[in-house]
Amino acid sequence: MSERLADYSLQKKIVQGRNGGLHKIGLIGAGSLGQEIIRCICRQGIEVVFIDRTEELLVQIMESIDRQLDETINKWGITDSEKRAILSRIEGSTDFNAIRDCDLIIETIHRKGRGTSVSDRKEVFRKLEAIIDTKTVIASNNATLMISDLASALNHPERAVGFNFITPVSKVGIVEVIRGLDTNDVSFDFAIRFIKMLDKRPITLNESIGNISTRLIVTLINEACEVLMEGVASINCIDDTMKLGYGLQLGPFELADRVGLDKVQKWMDNLYFEYSEQKFKPSPILKRLVRANHLGRKVGKGFYKYEKNKIISQAITTTDYI
Amino acid sequence: MKIIVINCGSSSIKYQLFDMTKNEVIAKGLVDKIGLHGSYIKHERNDGDKVRLEGEIVDHQIGIEYMLGILISKKRGSIKSFDEIDAVGHRVVHGGEKFQSSALIDENVMAGIKNCVDLAPLHNPPNMKGIYAMQSLLPNVPQVATFDTAFHQTMPDYAYMYAIPYSLYTKYGIRRYGFHGSSHRFVSNRAAKMLNTYLKKLRLITCHLGNGASITAIKDGGSLDTSMGLTPVEGLIMGTRTGDLDLGVLTYIMSKEEIGVQAANTLINKHSGMLGITGVSSDMREIEKAAFEDNNDRASLGLKMYHYRIKKYIGAYMAAMGGADAIVFTGGIGENAPDSREEICQGLEFAGVEFDNEKNEATRGTEAIISKDNSPVKVMVIPTNEELVIAEDTARIIKEIK
Repeated sequence: MSERLADYSLQKKIVQGRNGGLHKIGLIGAGSLGQEIIRCICRQGIEVVFIDRTEELLVQIMESIDRQLDETINKWGITDSEKRAILSRIEGSTDFNAIRDCDLIIETIHRKGRGTSVSDRKEVFRKLEAIIDTKTVIASNNATLMISDLASALNHPERAVGFNFITPVSKVGIVEVIRGLDTNDVSFDFAIRFIKMLDKRPITLNESIGNISTRLIVTLINEACEVLMEGVASINCIDDTMKLGYGLQLGPFELADRVGLDKVQKWMDNLYFEYSEQKFKPSPILKRLVRANHLGRKVGKGFYKYEKNKIISQAITTTDYI
Repeated sequence: MKIIVINCGSSSIKYQLFDMTKNEVIAKGLVDKIGLHGSYIKHERNDGDKVRLEGEIVDHQIGIEYMLGILISKKRGSIKSFDEIDAVGHRVVHGGEKFQSSALIDENVMAGIKNCVDLAPLHNPPNMKGIYAMQSLLPNVPQVATFDTAFHQTMPDYAYMYAIPYSLYTKYGIRRYGFHGSSHRFVSNRAAKMLNTYLKKLRLITCHLGNGASITAIKDGGSLDTSMGLTPVEGLIMGTRTGDLDLGVLTYIMSKEEIGVQAANTLINKHSGMLGITGVSSDMREIEKAAFEDNNDRASLGLKMYHYRIKKYIGAYMAAMGGADAIVFTGGIGENAPDSREEICQGLEFAGVEFDNEKNEATRGTEAIISKDNSPVKVMVIPTNEELVIAEDTARIIKEIK
C-alpha cells in the first residue's frame, strides 16, 4: 500500500477527507454580485466551483472576472501573480454535480424584473439537496427574502443559513449572517467561520425581511426622494449633507445609483409587501426613473449622469419637481 | 542534545532537527499550504532520504503533529522517542521593546509576544500557533523564542525614534525595530571569527540582501542602526518593496489614484521595488539578464538604483560609526551576485575599501574575504544561517536552566 500522510498522524485521530474543512465552495448563479463573492473567496486561497445556465455564460463570467481582476491590479489592489492564483481557483460548470464535494454552497441567483425569486431559489435548494451530503450547509445570499421560506423546500432545513453580502464586496468589511427558524448551531457557526475566513466581520442576526442593512438604507433613500420631490433641496445638497454632515461615504442618491434603482425598488416592494408600512412604499420618483430605464450607474443615468463611471452632473434638478 | 527549530508562517512551517553535540542538521522539512487546498509536507533526512506527502492539513497544530509523526517514524524518522528532544526553538518575528534576546517561553513571554501582534499582524499570530501546538504536543519539552527584532534592541534612541509626535511612540510603540536580526547577528559573529578578533572591537556593516533586504551598522558588539523600521518596508530597495520613500509621495498617490490604505499597502509592498521599477521581475537574476543581454533600460536603471541605495547606506553607516572595519554581504543576492557586490563597492576606495575583483568573481555562496589583502576595510561574503542561531540560543538557554 502506498504511503499516506495519515500514516504519520500521532493520535490516529486525524481523518483524511472532510472534517469541517473549508477548501471548496459551490456557488449557484454568478451574476455581478456572485462574481464579486467568487473573487473575494478565491483571494483567501479557497476554491470556488460556480454553476450557471449555459456554456456561453460560463465563458462570459470568466472573462468578466478576469477583467475585474485587471481593474483591481490597475488600482494596485493585487499583483499579476495573485491574479493568476485567484483564477486558478475558479471553475465554472453547467452541471450541478460539479459541486457535489463542496464544503459549503452559496446560492446567489437573481431574477430580472419585478416579483420575488423565491420559487426559483426553492427549486435550486431542492436540486442541491438531491446531490450533496446531508450535512453540507446551504446559504442563500439575498437582501429581502426569508431563509426559512427557502429552507422549507429542504428535507434538512437545519442546514440553511442566509448571507447578505453588500457591494462592493471587496471593500465592505461586514456580511450579515442570518439564522432561520430551523437553522442549527453547527450550520450557523460554520457559516460564521466561513465569513471570518474571508477576513470580514460576520453580523449575526435572526431572519427578518431586509435584515439590518436593507431596511435602514431603503428608508434613507426613500426619504431622500421625498425631500427632493418636495423641492426642499437639490440632489447634490441632499447627498452632500449626508456625506459631510454624517460622514457617510456616499449620499443616498449616489448610493441608490450604485445599487441600481431597479434593485432598490425591488427591495422596497418586498419590504412593503411584508410590513405594509408607508415608509417602505417606493417613492414615485424612483418608480418613474426605473420605468424610463434610468437605473443608475450601470446604465450611465439615474439620479446622476455618469461618464466612465464618474458623476458628471445631476440628472434631475429640483425645479423639475416643484 | 537534539533541538527542533520551527519557523511558522501564515500557511507554512519550516523546521530543522539539530544534533547540537555534532553540530549538524539531522532532518529538515516544510509543511506548506496549511488550511488550503493541496497541503503537503516535504521531509528530508541527512542520509538523503526524501518524501513529499499530500493530505489535509487544516491548521498548524496538525501540521506539527505530522512533522513529529514523521520524525519518530521507523521508515522516515530520525529519533526513537520524543524524550530525545531536549528543546524546541521558535522563530518569532516581533519582540517589540520587551525582548532584547532569546527567551525561555513561559506565560509571561507568551503575553509579551501577544502584545506585539499589533506590530506584526501577519507574522506573530502564526508564530504563536506554532508555540501553542508544540506546548500541547510536547508539554514537557522546554521552548525558546528567538526574535528577529531582538538584535537591534541595542540601537540608541536617536537612531530608532521617528520624528513624529512623541505621544505616538508612547501610545503605540511606533519606532524603528529592524528585522533580520538573527542573520545580522550570525554573520557579524562569523566575521569576527574570520578576522580573528572580538566582535566588540569591530565596526561592521552587514548587508542582508535577499528578497527582503536590510543593512545594519554594528558597533561595540551590537546593532547601532539598521535600515528596516517599524515594518520591513523601510530602507533598501527590495524585490517588491519600495524601501525609503517620501511620505508625501504615498499620500499623493493615494489621492490621485483614489485608493485606500489596503491598496496603498499592497502598492508599496508588492508592486514596487525592483519589480515596480523594471517591470521585468522581482528576481535579480532575471533583471540582470534583461539589463545585460536584452539591453533593457529600465532593468539597468533598477540595478543602478538598487546599488546606489546600498552604497548610500554604507556611506551613512561609516559616518555614524566613524569608519568601518568590514563590510559583510549575505542573503541570496549578497552571497551569490558578484556583479552587485562589485557595483556597490566601486568608488569606496576613498573610505579604505580596496575591492579585489578576482576574489569577488570566484566567490559564490561560500565564506570569503573579497577585498585585497592590504585593504583597510575588509569586504566579506558570509552565508547566513538563521536556524543555527535559533538552535544555538535554544541550547544555551536550556543549559542555563538545567
